[in-house]
Amino acid sequence: MEFKDYYQALGVARDAGADDIKKAFRKLARKYHPDVSKEPDAEARMKELNEAFAVLSDPEKRAAYDRLGQRFHAGQDFHPPPDWDAGFEFSGRGFSGAEAADFSDFFSELFGGRFGGAEARGGRHAGPGWDDIRDDMRDGFRARGEDHHAKLMLDLEDAYRGAVRTVTLRVPRLDAAGRPVLQEHTLDVRIPQGVYEGQMIRLAGQGGPGMGTDEAGDLYLEVHFKPHGRYRVEGRDVYASLPVTPWEAALGASVLAPVPDGAVEVRIPAGSQSGRKLRLKGRGIPGRTPGDLYLVLEVVLPPADTPRARELYETMAREMNFDPRRGG
Amino acid sequence: MTREHVAVLLDETRLTLEELAASCAVSREWVIEHVRAGVLLAEPDPDPGRWHFNSRDVWRLRKMSDLERHFDANPELAGLVADLFEEVERLRIRLRRAGLHPD
Repeated sequence: MEFKDYYQALGVARDAGADDIKKAFRKLARKYHPDVSKEPDAEARMKELNEAFAVLSDPEKRAAYDRLGQRFHAGQDFHPPPDWDAGFEFSGRGFSGAEAADFSDFFSELFGGRFGGAEARGGRHAGPGWDDIRDDMRDGFRARGEDHHAKLMLDLEDAYRGAVRTVTLRVPRLDAAGRPVLQEHTLDVRIPQGVYEGQMIRLAGQGGPGMGTDEAGDLYLEVHFKPHGRYRVEGRDVYASLPVTPWEAALGASVLAPVPDGAVEVRIPAGSQSGRKLRLKGRGIPGRTPGDLYLVLEVVLPPADTPRARELYETMAREMNFDPRRGG
Repeated sequence: MTREHVAVLLDETRLTLEELAASCAVSREWVIEHVRAGVLLAEPDPDPGRWHFNSRDVWRLRKMSDLERHFDANPELAGLVADLFEEVERLRIRLRRAGLHPD
């Protein structure tokens, strides 16, 4: 495991004040916010920033981290020395177990059993932090586990046919000593047909562990489709280009068009041009109200790469009174 | 052998106020404040017990919660930014549909 330099991540000096740290975080959070950023690694950078801010905005965590920072530098092989945190009492700003599951192993190793805190109950954040979990275990408290969120990347074809996908997540669990630790959790999920981009799917009891005899939280997966070379998705509607020959477009034809759930015979109306949209009602993503599939015609010219092909083009040029640049 | 878990699609079933609050680790009161501020649910029933939330509401609430925490935004400003995120996403989809790459 490598030592992470949280000051470097936020671009601040080691003696930066709390306001400077907040300003730097906000500036970078704007730059790397995954919803607006054009940076290729925006999501990863945002996680890194959240993690750095979680530590440097909390006076106790920062003080303990600073003590380590005197002996380690970024990228150096790192294992926390015994009692590295002696004399510190971590509390304050609450980051829930669900949020921290996104943080690095480095964070988990240092603060894994120690975050959460006063803000976590009854205020903006209602879920228990790990300090709460540990205290509650001791007090015999009972509480439902935290709900967790993750993204799920699917192929468009999965929305048509349904699928089973293996999902691996890092979730907080209590070890034998009752200490919260992040553990990998793998589960096979049956995805029903009809999911669409942005839809949440819920897996009961697969979130954070419950306290005492109470039940575990739920896991929410936000569906996203992997980019597809052929299809574009808008809600439940699906768009694809359909290459056709000039004579199919001009004379009309029946062609077999590949669609996400197989192939379908499509009638190309005579006199079609590139860009014409053919709507296949109900052949988009299935559902109570299924989407439509739109095939956008793309007229593809055969290459004039043989004497015979050239001759055919020359015949057309000679005998067809056609100039696409002529107004009319 | 790993047990297979069956996913329930949100929108076919919707979340109650309590379920939404739990799903996003915020309090029930926090959700009510945001519905009353007009940034969640278009035409809410006067009785919060009758509120039901879909995938979009979960997405919006998580965005607003992050914005308020990171930037100390108030609910109205967080709601406005969430509206803009949604608009950006809609425009990106239209660009992709037109065969253009938004990035």
